[in-house]
Parts: sequence; C-alpha cells; structure tokens
Amino acid sequence: MILLSLSELIGRFHPVVVHLPIGILALAGLFLLLPARGLFAGLRSSITPILFIGLISAVFSCITGYVLSGSGDYPERLIGIHQWMGIGVTVITGVILLMRIKTSEEKWQWLFGAVLLLLLLLTGHQGGSLTHGEDYLAQPLNSILGRDEPVIIKRKPLPDVQEAMAYAEVVRPVLQAKCFGCHSASKQKGKLRMDQPSLLMKGGKNGEIIVPGKSAESEMIIRILLPKNDEHHMAPKDKPQATEQETALLTWWIDNGASFDKKVKELPQPDPIKPVLLALEHEEEEEKSLPNIPLEPVEPADEQAIQALRDAGAAVLPVAAGSHYLSASFFIASDSGDLITPLLLPLKRQLAWVKMGNTKISDASLEILGQCVNLTRLNLNHSRITDEGLAYLAPLTQLQSLSLVGTPVTASGIAALKELKSLRSLYLYQTNVQQGDWQELKRLFPDVMLDSGGYKLPFLATDTQQVKAPARQND
Amino acid sequence: MTQKELHNARLIKEANEARMQMHTRRHFLKESAMGLGSLALGALLQSCGSGAPALPETTNLFDPAHPLSPKFPMFPAKARSVIYLHMAGAPSQLELFDYKPELMKLDGIACPPSLLEGKRFAFIRGVPKMLGPQAKFKQHGQSGAWISDRLPHLSTVADEISFLKACTTDQFNHAPAQLLIHTGSPRLGRPSIGSWATYGLGSENQNLPGFVALTSGGSFPDAGKSVWGSGFLPSVYQGVQCRSQGDPVLFINDPKGMSRDMRKASIDAINQVNQEEYKEYNDPETLSRIAQYEMAYKMQISVPEVMNINNEPQYIHEMYGTQPGRESFANNVLLARKLVENGVRFVQLFDWGWDTHGTDSSTSLDIGFINKCRSIDKSITALILDLKQRGLLEETLVVWGGEFGRTPMQENREGKENMFKGRDHHVEAFTCWMAGGGVKGGVSYGETDEIGYSSISGKVTAFDIQATILNQLGFDHEKFTYEFQGRPFRLTDVEGEVIRDILA
Repeated sequence: MILLSLSELIGRFHPVVVHLPIGILALAGLFLLLPARGLFAGLRSSITPILFIGLISAVFSCITGYVLSGSGDYPERLIGIHQWMGIGVTVITGVILLMRIKTSEEKWQWLFGAVLLLLLLLTGHQGGSLTHGEDYLAQPLNSILGRDEPVIIKRKPLPDVQEAMAYAEVVRPVLQAKCFGCHSASKQKGKLRMDQPSLLMKGGKNGEIIVPGKSAESEMIIRILLPKNDEHHMAPKDKPQATEQETALLTWWIDNGASFDKKVKELPQPDPIKPVLLALEHEEEEEKSLPNIPLEPVEPADEQAIQALRDAGAAVLPVAAGSHYLSASFFIASDSGDLITPLLLPLKRQLAWVKMGNTKISDASLEILGQCVNLTRLNLNHSRITDEGLAYLAPLTQLQSLSLVGTPVTASGIAALKELKSLRSLYLYQTNVQQGDWQELKRLFPDVMLDSGGYKLPFLATDTQQVKAPARQND
Repeated sequence: MTQKELHNARLIKEANEARMQMHTRRHFLKESAMGLGSLALGALLQSCGSGAPALPETTNLFDPAHPLSPKFPMFPAKARSVIYLHMAGAPSQLELFDYKPELMKLDGIACPPSLLEGKRFAFIRGVPKMLGPQAKFKQHGQSGAWISDRLPHLSTVADEISFLKACTTDQFNHAPAQLLIHTGSPRLGRPSIGSWATYGLGSENQNLPGFVALTSGGSFPDAGKSVWGSGFLPSVYQGVQCRSQGDPVLFINDPKGMSRDMRKASIDAINQVNQEEYKEYNDPETLSRIAQYEMAYKMQISVPEVMNINNEPQYIHEMYGTQPGRESFANNVLLARKLVENGVRFVQLFDWGWDTHGTDSSTSLDIGFINKCRSIDKSITALILDLKQRGLLEETLVVWGGEFGRTPMQENREGKENMFKGRDHHVEAFTCWMAGGGVKGGVSYGETDEIGYSSISGKVTAFDIQATILNQLGFDHEKFTYEFQGRPFRLTDVEGEVIRDILA
C-alpha cells in the first residue's frame, strides 16, 4: 500500500519535473541553431554542460512520466505517443551530447538542434493535451474564429421500448452520454471504466459501483444524488448532469438486478418508471423556448439615432451586455403619436423589443415598424392602429409575441399575419374579434397561443364571508 | 496690520482649515482610487479594440448623477418585471398545496420521537400530537396540481403555475427568515432583491420608482422595512413604500398654500445648493440626493395617477375583489398590475397575518387562516389572468410564498395543547410558487415525505429562489456583485442555483 502510494507520489511529480528538460533543452537547441562564428561564438562552449543537465532532467521526466502513466487517469492512445516521443527527446539529447564529446566537428549539429526543438515542441504539446484535454487550445481558438460549439448527439427514439434490451438500449445510452467521457476506453478516471459490462461491474479504485438489486447502496447512484457542490458528486459540476429521468432509469435497472441480457418487458415496472420508459419511444423533447432575440448578430446601432430616440422620451437600451439588439419602450412618451416613429427607422435592424402601448400611434407607424425586421416582441396595446396597418407587419418573420390589446383590429386584419413563422403568442383582448371568429383564427394560427382575454372569476359566497370564532361560553 | 485685518485673516485661515478637514483622507483615497481605476479601465477597454467595442460584463457601474436611468442586464431577460407576493407569518403548506393523506391517518397520534430528536421548534415543547390536513384537496388542471379547497379561484389557473414543493430554510423565527428570503442573509444590512434588481436595471419609466413595496394585513412584516431596504447599496435603490389608502406616498401632495410652481422653484433652489455642495466636496451621494428630489417632483404627478384604482372599470374590480379606498391586499395586487404595466421593475407585496399557531381564533387553521385565504384567493388569481390578457404574464414573474413552513404536528405551546388548531414554524418543508416571466406552467417541482415533514427531492433554498429571480431578469447571480467593505458582495452570497427544471 505504501509502495503503491509512493509510486503515485513520484508519478505526480511528472508535471513539475517535465518543465526542466523543456526549458533546458530548448536553450541547448537554440544555441545549436545559432551560428558558430561571430557574435554567438562564445555560447558554443556552454552547449555541452547544458545538454548534460538537460539529459539528467529528461531521464527523470521519463521515469516519473512512466510511473504516472500507470495511474489510469489518462487516455491510453495519447499516452503511448507521448511516452515514445519523450524517450525520443532523451535519446537524441544523449546522441548530440556524445557527438559533442567525441568530435569537435560542428558542421551538422544545427540540424540535430532543429530536430530536438521540434520533438520537444510536439512532446510538450502532447503532454498538455493529456492534462488539459485535447480541445484545450482548440476550444478558445474555435470561439475566436466564431466556429460553433460541438453539437450534443441526440438519443434516437426506440420503436418499442418493451422489446428493447434493458442494458444495451436503455441504460447504456445514458452511461454513454453522461459517463463515458471520463470512464471508457480513452480515459479511466479513478480507474473506472464503464463501457463494457464486466468492467462496469468491476468498479473503480474505490471498489464496485453497482450493487445489483440495491440502488441505495450502489456508489454510482449515491454519487449522482449527492449535492452538486459535493466533491464526490458525479458527473462533475461543470459537465452535463444526469437528468431526473436518466437517474430513474439507472436506479430502476439496478434495483431489478442490473442484468445485461434482459429485455425491458422481462423486468418489473412499477408505476413511476412507466412514463419514463415510454418517453424513450419519442424524440428527446425539443427546447421549446426560442431565444427571445434573433440568433444572427447585428451590427452596432448609430449612437446618434439612439440618442435622438431617448431625447424624444423613449427608454432605449441594448437587450443585454454584448448585444447590439435594442429594446425600446415609450412609457413617458405616450402622448407622442406617429411623429416619434420615424426615429425608429435608423435603428430598424437593431430593434428587437418594442413597447408602444398607450401611445397614440396609428397605421402610419406600422409602416415603419414593419421595416424593423428583427423585432421579436411588439406591444401595441391601446394604440390607434387598425386592420389596414397590420398588413405592414407581414415581413416581421422573427416576431414571436404580438400584443394588440384594446385596438380596433378584427379577425380579417389579423389574418394578414398568418405567415409570421416565429409567432408564438398573440394577445387580442378587447379587440373587435367577434365570438364567431375564433374558430377561424385558431385554424389560421395553429401554433400560436391566441389569448382572447375577458377572463371572469365566478362570485363565490366564500369570497366575502368571514368565518367567525365560535361564541365563547361564559364560565 | 490692524486688529480687524488680523481677525479677518484668522477667520479665513480657520475656514480654509475647516474645509481641508472636510476633505477627508477617505475622500482623497476614494477619488484617487476611482480616478486611477477608471484610467486603467479606459486603457484596458481601448486595448481590446478588436472590431466590436468591448462591453463590460455588466453596466452596473453606479452613476450617481442618474442612479435610476434604465440599464441593461447580462443576458436577454425573460422577465422584465417581478411581482413578489409575500405572505408574512408563513402560510401552512399542509392546508394549501402539499397534500398528505398519510398525515390524516396519523391525526391525533403522539409525534414519534424520531421526528423530534435533535430538532428545535419555536414553540413546540415535549411531545406534540400529529395534525392531519385541515382542508380538502383535489387535483386541478391538466397538470393535476394538488390544491386545497381553501383556494377555489387559484385552483382554476393551476396550469399557469410552477409549484416549488420542497422549499427549505434554516431560520425558524419570522424576522430572520424574512430577511433571509428577501436579502440573502438572516441578519440586517444586506440589500433586498428588489434593490439589487433596481441597482442592476434602473427604472424604465423615469417618472416612477423602479422598486415599490406595498403592505397589507394591518402590520408591517416582522423584519420591518429592511425587507425592502437597500442595505449597503446606494439608498436610492431601496423600495419606495406606497399605500393603497390615503396618499399613495406620504407627503406627496403639495402642502396647503404651496402651488406646484412654487414647489418647483423651491426644489430647484435646494438642488442648486446641493450642486454647490457637490462642487465643493465631490461626494456622489449629493448627486443622488439631487436626483431624488427631481424624481420626487416628477412622481408627484405620475404616482397618484398610477396609484389610483378608482378609474379601473367595474369588471376589473369584480375580478380582483377590490374596494377602492380601503387598505387591502386585493387593492395592492391591482396596484401591482398597474405599476408593472407602467414599467416598474419590482413590486413587492407583504400581507401580514399568516402566523397560524392556533393560540386564538385569528390564528386558527379553521377560522383565521380560512379568512386570510379568502382575502387573497380571488385577487392573486385575477392578477395572473389579468396580466395574461394584457400580454404581460410572459414578461412578468409572479412569485408567491412565505418565509418558512408549518409543522405536521399541532402546536403545543410550552407543552400544553393550544386552544385552537394551529401549527408551529417549520424550516424543513414549505411550498412557494412562481408563474409567468419565463417559468413553465403546470409544474410541480420537489417532493416532501409522506407526512410533509422534510423535503426529499427537488430541495430549494431561499438562495435558489433568488438566483432564479435574478436569472429571469437577465443576471447571473454569481457575477452580479457590488463592491463593499473591500470585497464584492452577491445577493446569494456563496450559494444558490437557478431552478432550471421550472424554466420554460
């Protein structure tokens, strides 16, 4: 045990020791590349001792590195390459050193220096990839270049969940999504590998993680259920977490024996698990909520145009830090009518949310608002717009929410909006939509929440009655 | 030099010295730190000039001259306003939302020692008896949410609401528990959620305050005005307390014999004096004071207008159950809707009288509690529906809750059974709910055990609720900070997690 932890301790020195040969040999390589005559001639004599010290540190790095590679915390594939390249650096250092001791011929030594530097660079990079992950540099680079984040692979729906294999088709995909990142062929954190049944049951360095029949005693479930801030919680805080449904599936599978060869229908299915299993037959639920500003970024707005609008009494703001989309509301400027809307025109690409409720704007303003193509939310409550004006709004393909409360619009005017693909909610309280029109509107806007308003609450006797305390008896 | 000249010279010297003394070391350090800081910031920002101008993480740099001008959040907000309905005294979850048929079976049985060992209660001593639910429950809406017959109106909008069934706290006395839920600390001195929101977002309507507090129930919440206080934030961000009876804001009307022009002239004069003061001492609080005077003047016109519910149509009064002129929770709820409609960011309602111990009829679960429920049921339901029909519910977050829950045991104050049916303070489980503002409808999040004693899944703390409210307003609660006493402070201190499962 002591021996084991001693080797572990030695292994953990690798990331420290390794920087010595990197620095020392880089210096040696650089000196070898410099011209032997002239300004740098004096450096020549220092190359041999530098190489010697570098060789010793490189050997130590190899030893500690080899010990560390046994810990199983790193992907095997990368370790192999890194290990041999590290040994290569050490060997070539030795070769150059021997050459320098044996001969005084300097002619081809710059070539060796170049090879040494190259190998050093590659080995160092490999080592970095091992400790920080292969995307350590790529990730910020990608975000600089504006490339998209990697897409998360979606679960495929099962045709018939009862016929599916409980492990292979129900449990394994969960493990694959949430655990394999650190516990499979390429990486075995905590010496745990979960991608093969026998290894999954074997567990990691703290022993078994699954006790068949007893989820409450299974380390895997215990860790998933630990508070997220607990250092033993799995998956780690910054990684995608097992959802409640996924945890339920794992628990159910373990409680029923953790078998690898049974079909779902062969296992007992208590009530709570039934809907979870059934859900596997459908696509993963799409994220329903759209972001409430357009996805495409927009160029910055003209500051003067913003100021002009502010001077007219509107509150104009970016929707968020770092966004050029604007929100404009006219709480104070409510008396101004169509005179103010032309001020929106220079900002027509930036305006995303506009609130012109209680202003006196009419259809003329809608002609301008119709050019604000990136509008996602528009509130025109109690303004003077009519059916004719609504037709101007047809180009607003990003519009998600439109509130027309208290305006004299009718069903026929609203029908002009039926091509608005992003529209999700349409508020039509106190408009001139007639009782008989709703059927038709629902048909025209199948995906839109149409709110007719006019909600009434019934009068209940209890609303106003008070319960009285029973009369106290005099005694 | 004559005697008089000497005297004058000494006076001038003294005046200069006095001025120097006023210009304290603190002033000097503050100014130089600010100056150096902004120089450095300017240089930093300039150096990251790669195309788009670098934007700071937040814009919440306090601008003393315009402390309430509208500001933008960190990310696009789902909710533009919040209406927080606080039932001061802590309503019983076991009679409203947390249905426990098992507890009914245990009614009247002595509480098992396992539930009492190592626990402390505010009033329960010795061995209390279990108390079954004192209301009838039914499932409502498509979501099948359990709501008791105490709230017949609210039951009809169950599908708009996300219930947080497993709220917990660690404070079993009213004042600290209220402070915890509203300021993130059970002790005095921290800013309330509304103050944080106003500090971050300013006021969208420059004629109205950004944060309004309204009280009902005949008494202030136990923690006093600190639950809408600004703590260490500049005082301009504290909640403006308005009243639904009499003048909406105290002393808002011009005094007799003072015309509005004269009022304007006097405010201008005061502000001029303050300007001079500012030139002299450079204290940013002076600018805040000027801004406050100006806002007060504007509010004289706009607040009475917004705060007047007499002009609301009859059907709205019927819907909310409001009676103009009275101080009531229902009136406050209607006011909240009007304020939000006019761009107020944060409206906080405190309704006192939910502390159902069962010591007298007004705190009895089958008398006073029922009356409290009746006084809120219709108006909160109307609020949800009225916001919805105005297109405001999707951008207004409504939060309802108390400061803690109530025990599944009947209170036995000092070991003797109380006269009426009541429950003691309980920290391990209670229900809050949210609606609108980007929160899903028809969700029941979290679970308590079969007698409603402890939370077993989906546990939620005051910090989680605060984190969620800030998230809906567009702020990352971990990055939204204010520098005070040498370190950045957060509403959620070092805790809190956004309750993502209830977000749409």
